[in-house]
Amino acid sequence: MTRVISSSLLRAAVLPVGLLVLWQLVVMFGTPSRRAPMPTHVVEAAWALIGSGDLPLALIQSFGRVLAGFAWAAALALVLGALMGTYRAVDRSLDPLVESFRSIAPIALLPLAILWFGTGTPAAAFIVGYAAFFPMIVNTIHGVKSVDPQLIRAARTLGVDRLTILRTVVLPGALPYIFVGARLALGVAWTSIIAAELAVGAKAGGGGTGGIGQMMFVFYAYSVDLNGIIVCMISVGVVALVIDRGLRRLEQWMLPWKR
Amino acid sequence: METLNDAAPKLRLRGVRKEFVLPRTGERTVALEEIDLDVKRGEFLCIVGPSGCGKTTILNMIAGLTAPTGGSLEIDGKPIDGPGAERGVVFQDYALFPWKTVWENIEFGPRYRKGSALAKSQRDERVRHFIDLVALNGAENKYPYELSGGMRQRCAFARALANDPDVLLMDEPFAALDAQTRVILQEELLRIWGETGARDERRTVVFITHGIDEAVFLANRIVVMGSHPGRIREIKTVDLPRPRKPEMRASAAFQELVEHIWQLIRDEAYAATVKA
Ligand SMILES: Nc1ncnc2c1ncn2[C@@H]1O[C@H](COP(=O)(O)OP(=O)(O)OP(=O)(O)O)[C@@H](O)[C@H]1O
Ligand SMILES: [Mg+2]
Repeated sequence: MTRVISSSLLRAAVLPVGLLVLWQLVVMFGTPSRRAPMPTHVVEAAWALIGSGDLPLALIQSFGRVLAGFAWAAALALVLGALMGTYRAVDRSLDPLVESFRSIAPIALLPLAILWFGTGTPAAAFIVGYAAFFPMIVNTIHGVKSVDPQLIRAARTLGVDRLTILRTVVLPGALPYIFVGARLALGVAWTSIIAAELAVGAKAGGGGTGGIGQMMFVFYAYSVDLNGIIVCMISVGVVALVIDRGLRRLEQWMLPWKR
Repeated sequence: METLNDAAPKLRLRGVRKEFVLPRTGERTVALEEIDLDVKRGEFLCIVGPSGCGKTTILNMIAGLTAPTGGSLEIDGKPIDGPGAERGVVFQDYALFPWKTVWENIEFGPRYRKGSALAKSQRDERVRHFIDLVALNGAENKYPYELSGGMRQRCAFARALANDPDVLLMDEPFAALDAQTRVILQEELLRIWGETGARDERRTVVFITHGIDEAVFLANRIVVMGSHPGRIREIKTVDLPRPRKPEMRASAAFQELVEHIWQLIRDEAYAATVKA
């Protein structure tokens, strides 16, 4: 049994390890530039960035902005989505607006964000929230509409008023979809925070408290450290994975009635 | 032999008609036509009839969940214009809240209903009582998906009863139960309805069933319906003494009534099956 597992693990590791070795060899012997990143240097850079506390600090900074942006977007999307899912008239008047804004990439709002909010956290949170808003509202509407009408009827025959039904029947019924929306929203929020900080950082001048995007920008524009950039890319991916897995856990815990 | 107070019906249906319009084709189906029916205060009324004759539709209109296309429905002399806690429903498809446990489902009405919600201690006592009644002990913390069909049905039954309604509207509430459980719950239902108590304290029950012997065992009167379009064929009074006893099922009077009603709907049932 253990032998089966270890041999299959071995087989799965062959390709990535091989590619890493190839990468190392190509940079060492095949390119004239000493700036090209290679695995050993990336590991060294990662070690240094974690040791100095710069990388954790930047990640925490970025994550805080993501949460701030996600929070306002989710709150707005929940309220609007519940209204649009419940009332056909609201749906019909707001749907074209939502659909047309949805196609505007968050990054296209950067100039506006910087003009309105400057180059700090508010601008980044605005961009992030804008990105998170759409997956959240679309799934909330869908969730509210998909609640079994028979359950609402059952609640009404028990003498429960509409507002309480919204809280005790519609919302729990829509929750599985709301979770899907939240997972997608946090995903795109995390994606767009990097882009937002990259651009915002150009004016702010960087530094350890500028978030992971600004850190990348500094490596790119000032110290020209490609190994550092690779470290940033990898940590962005790891954080995204952690967020997703964390939300899945939360979902299993909050929706025990879902098989 | 019993006589019921004819003066003040609890429910009054006059010339009730219901058409359904299919949204896609615009095609109209007449589900019910010219329904005249008085349900007396404290009466146990059963409705039998072939599948698709409009039994559930009548119940939904009394519950205030569906508006009639024509005619009028009244409760205590006032027009029915929406659902209310005084009319409890046991739905044919149970309609349990999937995200609530058995306990929370049964607790739902007493906890959230407008104006008359119960305090926690009272509520707990009430829920406990009805869980015992329908023998769901040990399943309190299960979710509906973890229950068998019969357990779901008992849970739906308990949920409606725990809200203490004046009028009980039940849509084949015992259809998914095994024979023994069904017999036990039939007797329990008669007790809850108030068979052994003072006559003017009885609830009013409208009970849909496919079981003719079930209807005869439970009812004061049986409405026999026909289809195409849905209408009342005959209303039969059940003259068996109360309290009803399981032994009565074997009596000649009981069997005679079952046979009579069976005769009435046999042609209807046959026609419905062949057409479908
Ligand atoms: N929402 C609806 N839209 C369109 N037609 C409907 C709707 N509800 C019921 N009907 C039609 O009305 C008729 C009566 O339906 P209903 O559900 O009341 O029958 P039923 O007597 O309860 O049948 P069963 O014994 O099978 O439960 C049927 O022909 C059905 O197709
Ligand atoms: Mg039915």
